[in-house]
Amino acid sequence: MHYSIVLLLAVPIVGAIVGALLPNARSAKWWALLVSVATALVGVWMAAQFDWNQDLSAVPTSDRLARSVQIAFTPGFDSPLHLQAIQFSFSLGVDSISLWLVLMTVLLMPVSILASFTYIKERQKEFYAWMQALLAFMLGVFVARDLLLFYVCFELTLIPMFFIIGIWGGSERRYAAGKFFLFTFSGSVFTLAVVIFLGLAAGSFDLATVTQYAQYDLTDSARFWVFMGLAAGMAVKVPLFPVHTWLPLAHTEAPTAGSVILAGVLLKLGAYGLLRLAVPMGLIGPAGLMFPTVVKALAVLCIIGVIYGALVAWVQQDIKKLVAYSSVSHLGFCVLGLVALNDYGMQGSVLYMVNHGLSTGAMFLVIGMIYERYHTRDIHQLSGLAKQMPIMSFFFVFFTLSSIGLPGLNGYVSEFLTILGAFTSEHLGIGYGIAAAVGIILGAIYMLHMVARVIFGPLKVPHVHEEEGHKPLSRDLNGREITVLVPLAIAVVLLGVLPTPVLNSVLEPVRMVRQPVTAPIVGPTAQSPAEVAMVQRP
Amino acid sequence: MMDSLVRLLWPEMVLTVAACVLFLLGVSRRAAVRRLTAVLAVLTLAGVFFGLLASGAGGSLMGGQVVSDPWNSVRIVEFGYYIKILVAGVGILLALLAWPGNRQATGNSAMDVGQDTGEFFGLMLLSLMGVFLVASSNDMILMFLGIELASIPTYIMVAISRPLAVAQEAGVKYFFLGAMAAALMLFGFSYLYGTTGLTDLHRIGQVFAASAGGIGQAPVLSPWQVLAVVMLMMGFAFKMAVVPLHFYAGDVYQGAATPVTALLSFVPKISGFVAMIKILFVVGGGSWVVPQFVTQILIVLSVLTMCVGNVLGLLQFNIKRVLAYSSIAHSGYMLVGLAALTSPRIAGSDEGLSAVLFYLAGYGIMNAAAFGVLMLLPARPGIAGMGGVGAGGKMPPATSAETFEDIAGQGRKHVALGLAMAVACFSLIGLPLTVGFFGKLYLIRAALNQGLIALVVITVINAAVSAAYYLRIVATMFLRSEPQTQWPQAAQPADDCDGRGTLPIKLAVGLSVFGVLLFGLVVPAIELLSTQSRSAARVDIPSSVEQPTASAMAR
Repeated sequence: MHYSIVLLLAVPIVGAIVGALLPNARSAKWWALLVSVATALVGVWMAAQFDWNQDLSAVPTSDRLARSVQIAFTPGFDSPLHLQAIQFSFSLGVDSISLWLVLMTVLLMPVSILASFTYIKERQKEFYAWMQALLAFMLGVFVARDLLLFYVCFELTLIPMFFIIGIWGGSERRYAAGKFFLFTFSGSVFTLAVVIFLGLAAGSFDLATVTQYAQYDLTDSARFWVFMGLAAGMAVKVPLFPVHTWLPLAHTEAPTAGSVILAGVLLKLGAYGLLRLAVPMGLIGPAGLMFPTVVKALAVLCIIGVIYGALVAWVQQDIKKLVAYSSVSHLGFCVLGLVALNDYGMQGSVLYMVNHGLSTGAMFLVIGMIYERYHTRDIHQLSGLAKQMPIMSFFFVFFTLSSIGLPGLNGYVSEFLTILGAFTSEHLGIGYGIAAAVGIILGAIYMLHMVARVIFGPLKVPHVHEEEGHKPLSRDLNGREITVLVPLAIAVVLLGVLPTPVLNSVLEPVRMVRQPVTAPIVGPTAQSPAEVAMVQRP
Repeated sequence: MMDSLVRLLWPEMVLTVAACVLFLLGVSRRAAVRRLTAVLAVLTLAGVFFGLLASGAGGSLMGGQVVSDPWNSVRIVEFGYYIKILVAGVGILLALLAWPGNRQATGNSAMDVGQDTGEFFGLMLLSLMGVFLVASSNDMILMFLGIELASIPTYIMVAISRPLAVAQEAGVKYFFLGAMAAALMLFGFSYLYGTTGLTDLHRIGQVFAASAGGIGQAPVLSPWQVLAVVMLMMGFAFKMAVVPLHFYAGDVYQGAATPVTALLSFVPKISGFVAMIKILFVVGGGSWVVPQFVTQILIVLSVLTMCVGNVLGLLQFNIKRVLAYSSIAHSGYMLVGLAALTSPRIAGSDEGLSAVLFYLAGYGIMNAAAFGVLMLLPARPGIAGMGGVGAGGKMPPATSAETFEDIAGQGRKHVALGLAMAVACFSLIGLPLTVGFFGKLYLIRAALNQGLIALVVITVINAAVSAAYYLRIVATMFLRSEPQTQWPQAAQPADDCDGRGTLPIKLAVGLSVFGVLLFGLVVPAIELLSTQSRSAARVDIPSSVEQPTASAMAR
């Protein structure tokens, strides 16, 4: 038993409750920052416990999946965290894929809280409490080793985000919040049906047990519908092409911190769900990949998303909306790499999840800082900001370059790998690779187009009436804002020049995603999940 | 023998005696006496609730036995105990919601029964007692009496609940349609009697079982018996507010005072469900293997009910109407459980029934929370659902929040109430951490177990549709600001949330929100409710097994 993983969820939950009861806004702010930093420290502690160079070659193949989950918390069969009526268990665990995403999440949360210090002016206590609750639920998705727990956390992220967009968002906030909630909820009800079906059929919600059941005991038509159901919820969250329409609105209307978390983490829940659930449970059978046509169809949707998202981003007037559409395009790459189902593509995809969180999160932060000063995001009203805000401009250009994949920064590695994956994939091939590569060019065009307009050129800023009762912000970024951006910039450079630790550590887990789990020592229904867990984790 | 009867029927007796006492006390003109009647009603219900919990929880008292009276008109098994505990528990909440908190003890912000407070609570106890009778009954006449006893007081309660024409209109409408439903039911019962010569449901089950081709086969019904079963199902469908017999729901729920609406959406519904479940067991010849047409009717009814309820729920402007259609939709979800129960794939699996029993408990709690919050929020003049401001810009009496305008921005002003409403709505949607999530989970699980995939898909689509209107309630409370209307001087709303008289209502809301979270968040509590609902899924002993009971020998 590792209690660090329990602490990872407990700290933000307790933080949210205590934060909601604090007497004033000022203390709520600092409390939220403290809690998110404490959560980040727990994340770092977990990373320190984790054996990043785990060698599983000596381990029998049937044990590998269990052994790759190095830090785990599995309640016993008669523990109060185990619901015997349906064999639902509050079991947690991280393998390297989960842990990287956890680390990205705990890095993004303190910076978005710090970035909200001046942005959020009303009902601050509630805001910070919702942010901490959101943090707990998002981490819950990444560390869940129980299918139903995954779904529970996945759904629960909707509630804080609904309020964050709906209360502190822009002028269209109510519509955006409702659309966000209803779109994602409509997708995920199908996931719920499949989750219940799998849990019922497999006799347990334990991820390993269910995965194995799905791979060996489902009929082909059942497997197809299992995949469709799981993918329905995840595709809306990612979002893939035809169901992406909630995203631009929600991202644009959300407050800065909301956009950062939405783009940085919530979209990854969808991609992670595809990786963790939909692919191994719905696409992989005893003989490997079952539905090449479905994979091709998914890849086509990704490519449509890549190109369409890029083209729409190109014509946006609102820089925040532009970055929002760029997310549609970028997540297309991410899922394309995933469905390539080979080492390059899938490693690239995991790395892409982390990278997109960092660079797009940072882009939203910088845009929020501009908005706080000029109260506009219109590309026509802003020009030549480099003259007035050199520090901000540095970060803006820096994160833009990271986002379009400049070699040396993080975006490059993952974009390259996902496209390489598409080229070399057995099921996809050169056509998919070329189409995706066009997306990269378009990506450079629309991002640089924006940078050229907003950062360079003659200085043009709208006249701003300062609000009463609030200290005006300094002209260029202040110390707090630089503190917000520097950790992200460091991470961007580190992952750009040194991506190998990430890639190597996720290699074995992504292989396990696309290969059938080999027959276990004990049958799924012969023993209780707790006993299975005890056998598998000596 | 008297002793065993008392042992069997003490909750019914207690409730009847208490109701009579309340009727007598209701004659008094003193406010203190009126207030006392409310106290007595709540205490009686609490006594029954805890008494039942202490004596029969988990069927430990029953020990797998069926206790019946010498004439076999009452047979009590775990099922009956579960229903009674549930009805008494939710009854406490409903009585607290109707608390006469104003100075004259004639009602509260949402309700005004004038001098009839005692009668009101007496009627409420009688209505709950009706459900108790249905749950114990083994005789079709007693069952019919129970259903009517659950319903007839509600007609009166609707009509006297507030001094407004709409309430009386609602009462009359409800009464006429309810009478029609009673006629349908009686028709059904009479054919059942005519074709079998029996009123004893247990023995009718044996007759049906004898008509089956063999063990595990569905009984073969004669055309008259088919007619009887269909009519009975339609009669129960009215009580459950199931499409196509749902038409009264919108108007009646809107017209009645909010505490009465809360009662209407639970008590008649559960009486209908209990009767339906018992009759299904009889039609299956003492098992759940019913003729195929019954399952098909249940599936069609559930699909219609879910879809119509949820789509019409989207179109409403009055929150009480929204909750009326939500109540219809929730009947549809529970019918999914009944369809799974009677579905032939895994015959005899009663998972569907335990899912329905779990859901009934969850629905009772979350529904009380939603109505309780509505009661605590003030109405706005001019836009209240009752046709607006009366003469001289006065608020219609006994009107709490009803429209979306009324609750706009109230979540910011009254954070605790807003959060309570949010919890109730999220539970009604079926989001995790609430009892509604596990309720839906069990229903879907039962249906999947029986291979009713299409029905499950329709159910989850409906859950998504329903999210739109529940979310609208939450969004209106939290995301909109309070509309800046000019209050006419006379209509300035008293801030109803601060009075001491609303304390019981707040207690009810608090208890129900606590229940919603307890049974959705605390695993041992969920486990307990699941176990109880599973052991309660025994309606009677299978009638193919002939058991000479002590009562039969006594005869």
